[in-house]
Amino acid sequence: MLDTIYKILAFFTSDATADRWFEQIYDNFIKDDRWTWLMKGLWVTIRLTFFAFIFGFLLGLIIAIIRVSHDKRVVMPRQSFLQRLGGIILSILNTICKIYLNIIQGTPTIVQIMIIYFVILASSTNKIGVAILGFTINSSAYVAEIIRGGINGVDQGQMEAGRSLGFGYIPTMIFIIIPQALKSALPALCNELVVLLKETSVASMVALQDLLAAAMLIRGRTANAFLPLIAAAIIYFVIVSILRAISARLERRLNSGDR
Amino acid sequence: MTDNKTPLIRVENLTKKFSTTTALDNISNNIYNGEVVVVIGPSGSGKSTFLRCLNLLEVPTDGRIYFEGTDITDPHNNINKHRQKMGMVFQQFNLFPHMTILRNLTIGPMKLLKKSKEEAEKKALELLDRVGLADRAGSYPNQLSGGQKQRVAIVRALCMEPDVMLFDEPTSALDPEMVGEVLDVMKMLAKNNMTMVVVTHEMGFAREVGSRVIFMEKGKIIEENEPKEFFENPKSERLKNFLNVVL
Ligand SMILES: Nc1ncnc2c1ncn2[C@@H]1O[C@H](COP(=O)(O)OP(=O)(O)O)[C@@H](O)[C@H]1O
Ligand SMILES: [Mg+2]
Repeated sequence: MLDTIYKILAFFTSDATADRWFEQIYDNFIKDDRWTWLMKGLWVTIRLTFFAFIFGFLLGLIIAIIRVSHDKRVVMPRQSFLQRLGGIILSILNTICKIYLNIIQGTPTIVQIMIIYFVILASSTNKIGVAILGFTINSSAYVAEIIRGGINGVDQGQMEAGRSLGFGYIPTMIFIIIPQALKSALPALCNELVVLLKETSVASMVALQDLLAAAMLIRGRTANAFLPLIAAAIIYFVIVSILRAISARLERRLNSGDR
Repeated sequence: MTDNKTPLIRVENLTKKFSTTTALDNISNNIYNGEVVVVIGPSGSGKSTFLRCLNLLEVPTDGRIYFEGTDITDPHNNINKHRQKMGMVFQQFNLFPHMTILRNLTIGPMKLLKKSKEEAEKKALELLDRVGLADRAGSYPNQLSGGQKQRVAIVRALCMEPDVMLFDEPTSALDPEMVGEVLDVMKMLAKNNMTMVVVTHEMGFAREVGSRVIFMEKGKIIEENEPKEFFENPKSERLKNFLNVVL
């Protein structure tokens, strides 16, 4: 027993093992500046995540407002032509949003990305643009539900207070309801950002040179899967940890302020 | 804007039905400039619904409401413009928790009345001072007591320079020791000839400040009178019973 442990220790501490490790690290990361492949891949991942989140957030916000406006709409007994028209348009938009949300949430992300990449936008050469579009659509569905929850969580009296001052429905939403809704939705939104960052690794399946694709590229050259994939995992983990720390800090700041 | 002969608010055959209940049953009433109309009645009698119909927070099922001569139930009239002239104070204050007190007071005048920041803040601080809260301008609502919140809520409505103020049980959510400070502000408004419609359980306020008291039950106005007659000489059995219980 002791003998076995001694042998294992000797193996890991021997000069021969150290040399082998160094050689592998050299091969996978230093030779041909392969570490810069990872950095370039990381940059693609960050850009993809950033733009998909921003656009997905804006689209999700609009969808959430349409859904809530429709659900809380008060139908007047007497309506002007414009009010009636507005009601019809809102109903149509709401139906479209509901179908959209159902489809996006009911299908795997990777299938959505592949459909957009291989089928719908097959001729486009702007790979990252296509990927941003795909993840924007995907993320908007989740953001819409998060923000809708946030809006529904705001006290009914806030809308009444805004309206009673003379603000219209949309200005009350913008100045009074949405800021409070976003604040309470902040933890869930940050979580969605983290999920999105990790999910963008799916983009490597449609030949986008993101972080995971860079790791796979190195693997192809060195025939060593372990080191490049571990390196990619560590980088993802570090970025996620940074995002988590920032969001925790933001939450604490907001909570100490007013509410 | 209007003389004393034409009513500031004219309510004609107002009916409000919810899915299962008729909250207001064919109510007609006039509210004149400078009046302090106090609405009392048992819980569920339709007092809040009546008040909230006046600025269309509740949409009437039937009937007409004229404010300063305009039929505000007509969908072609811009209700937002009329609401600017009708201040409302809620039982639960409904201050905006994400804004400072000063911002709560200036957002309406700046965005809706297009006042400059300086002008809006000057007016807000002046009114805040009058209710004894000038030093709280930079605070957030959750840093105030209930009584302070309600005084701020009254000032928020006043900053829009309304022609009428609507109060829905403004002291019902307050600890007893804070009721007085809010009623004092309302008395000050009444003294300055503000037209007010007040739903309340404060009979002392009704008697002292009211120019007319309305008794509602089951969605109907059962009796109305000037306060002295109303309390000392109630006509209907139902009002007598109600006063026996609450006084
Ligand atoms: N939003 C609503 N939906 C359904 N019923 C309501 C609603 N608001 C009020 N009601 C009903 O209308 C009646 C009058 O309510 P309300 O005006 O709040 O009475 P009060 O203020 O005198 O206590 C009650 O029976 C109440 O249950
Ligand atoms: Mg009530």
